[in-house]
Amino acid sequence: MAAGVLIGLILAGYSLFTARSASTLIVPAEDVALVNQQPVSRADYLALLQTLYGVDLSHATQEQRHKVLDDMIREELFVQRGKELDVASTDPDVRSALVNAVELEIAENAITSQPSEAALRQFFETHQDRYVSEGVMRVRDLVFPASALAELPRDPEALKKAITDAPTLAHLNGRDSGKTKGEEFYFAAKIHLGDELFAAARDLGNGEVSRPIQLSDGIHVLDMEQNRHPVPFGFAAARPQVLSDYRNQAVDKLKLSGESFLRKRANVLIADDLR
Amino acid sequence: MRFLVVLIMASLLVAAVFAADSYAARQLLRADPDALPGDAMLLRFAVRRGRPLFEARCAACHGASGTGDTVNGVPDLTDNDWLYGTGRPAEIEKVIDYGIRSRNPKAWNLAIMPAYARPQPNPGDKNIQPLTPGDIGDVIEFLMRQQGRPADAVAVSRGAALFTGHGGCYDCHSLDAKGDSAIGAPNLSDAITLYGDGSRGALYMSIAYGRQGVCPAWITRASAASIRELALYVYSISHPGTMQNGT
Repeated sequence: MAAGVLIGLILAGYSLFTARSASTLIVPAEDVALVNQQPVSRADYLALLQTLYGVDLSHATQEQRHKVLDDMIREELFVQRGKELDVASTDPDVRSALVNAVELEIAENAITSQPSEAALRQFFETHQDRYVSEGVMRVRDLVFPASALAELPRDPEALKKAITDAPTLAHLNGRDSGKTKGEEFYFAAKIHLGDELFAAARDLGNGEVSRPIQLSDGIHVLDMEQNRHPVPFGFAAARPQVLSDYRNQAVDKLKLSGESFLRKRANVLIADDLR
Repeated sequence: MRFLVVLIMASLLVAAVFAADSYAARQLLRADPDALPGDAMLLRFAVRRGRPLFEARCAACHGASGTGDTVNGVPDLTDNDWLYGTGRPAEIEKVIDYGIRSRNPKAWNLAIMPAYARPQPNPGDKNIQPLTPGDIGDVIEFLMRQQGRPADAVAVSRGAALFTGHGGCYDCHSLDAKGDSAIGAPNLSDAITLYGDGSRGALYMSIAYGRQGVCPAWITRASAASIRELALYVYSISHPGTMQNGT
């Protein structure tokens, strides 16, 4: 009896101190190889076969199959060796690839979850200013010499008449500045006209003219032919963009919380002189 | 005694069914995915198991029947018109594995539709310049003509120049607007639309404000077997004759 217990204890002790991690001799069906028990995925194998040779499994030659498998095994061996050598501690490319991969992994989680319609609608309502069309204007920018200021009518109707009448325009030495051309989106008109003239133009209705605006290069009068202000999109029209923005925000939030979690569980010691 | 015999027989039956399923699952995974439509038994097995997976994971966007949603730019999976690839099971499987613009490093994410009415149409490519409202109108007329619909002839020629010139549309959609399934650029010369009803207004929305649909990557969230079953289910709904013919 005592001998049996003793043998049992010896066997248990031997197993305990010589045990290796569980290993298998069978390659799972979803993999094409196990390299030190690390699976080499069949999906990746098929994708690589397609990428390298443009063939699927049944059309690949034996040589192509072996070459791809051999390349993947080689890569896995080198990755494992890289981990053993802890190359991440010294190689900046590996470090940045790891940071990037972890961030992408976090983002992937956010993208997989499908938000409810209520959540999307609430996001839309909170950020409605993002979902508007781009305004469009067709405006003429007429420029006059500074000396014409006194002669330019102050009454908008008279001013409109003066600038649309060719002889009067010529008499006042007025000309189209050529800054704008045809219909333009607001952002383009702003670039072409400059901030001050654009601010004046944006508020003009169709057919209206601005007051004379004195700038360093002369007196400007804006003649608005057509002004289509930005229009808010409805939820249905904006939904694809809302979904994209919602997910981007979720990704940012997850990244922040992931970082916060890592910081919380980490033991970070900072040198005295940098505290 | 009789109860015991029944119990043993039932257990054996359950074990046999389980073993057969495991065997079929292994066969399914080890087979060339593109050859599976030719194996009626495995195809039926995969489609049977793929349907509930589709309902659980894909139907929220693609709809229970897989017909998609043109309001939100979700592709119809039943029409055998493929944005990415040509509809081979291996290609479908790759989309399910890695997704589209899913942030997975192996996802399909080569191209987005720029927003030509924004100051920076594609923040990832500074070479793409905005278009004017008139330019966008001309491109729309060109696309109308490509689809064989009535269009303003003068605007068509201006639109063609933009499409194949500084608009840069040809770069993804190809010179004849027939698209490029290697990067997920839709064919713009057919009647199938991804977003909207194909009207001028819908085309304006796409060109002016851009598009960039997303499909999640499932490779880290579903087993390889589930993904293959799902891929074959999607294949089966896009090739309705497959299941009946068993080929």
